[in-house]
Amino acid sequence: MASATNTNLNAVRETMDVLLEISRLLNTGLDMESLSICVRLCEQGINPEALSAVIKELRKASETLKMF
Amino acid sequence: SGSITGLLSALCDCSLSGVSWKRRALGGVSREGFHRALKKRAYSALLSKLFQDGTKGSPSRPSAAANTPPRNKVLMMCFDLRLAGCREEAEALEDQLERLPEGASSGLKEVDSVLELLVSLAGSAPPPSTSF
Repeated sequence: MASATNTNLNAVRETMDVLLEISRLLNTGLDMESLSICVRLCEQGINPEALSAVIKELRKASETLKMF
Repeated sequence: SGSITGLLSALCDCSLSGVSWKRRALGGVSREGFHRALKKRAYSALLSKLFQDGTKGSPSRPSAAANTPPRNKVLMMCFDLRLAGCREEAEALEDQLERLPEGASSGLKEVDSVLELLVSLAGSAPPPSTSF
């Protein structure tokens, strides 16, 4: 049982590393923390295009704040 | 928290990292107030996209792009990178795509949705700054 959990954890870790590298190569601007949150939101059934719109909106808003 | 509301709130926190609040507090901008405003914008973007998707065209004729699997979209980007003369980047991306496990072996339930998200966000970050 514990071994199966460890195997799954290792699989998740490896997948996350590959996703982070793809994210970097595609210049998405996501760091590991925000990527992990996005993965969990996708797992909750959030549409990826809608999530992309949310991230772009949050960036716009925080950029505005950083200008002042 | 693992709920959608908790995760969206955490995403708002991430986008506020690196902001100095000492100076902004003097101008009457508090972290809590701005966090609330961010959450409002996040929900607004999320809901408007969901409603837009619900009213877009007939479900019997989805667009070709909507039908293309995200892995193929990444391969198309690799092709574009090669055409643009970025052979190393294209090869690196193809290598990572080959390494990306499919389905249950990835340990994730929605690995293709995450890839779809990365495709949607491709090129959305400012290019890394070059130091002199």
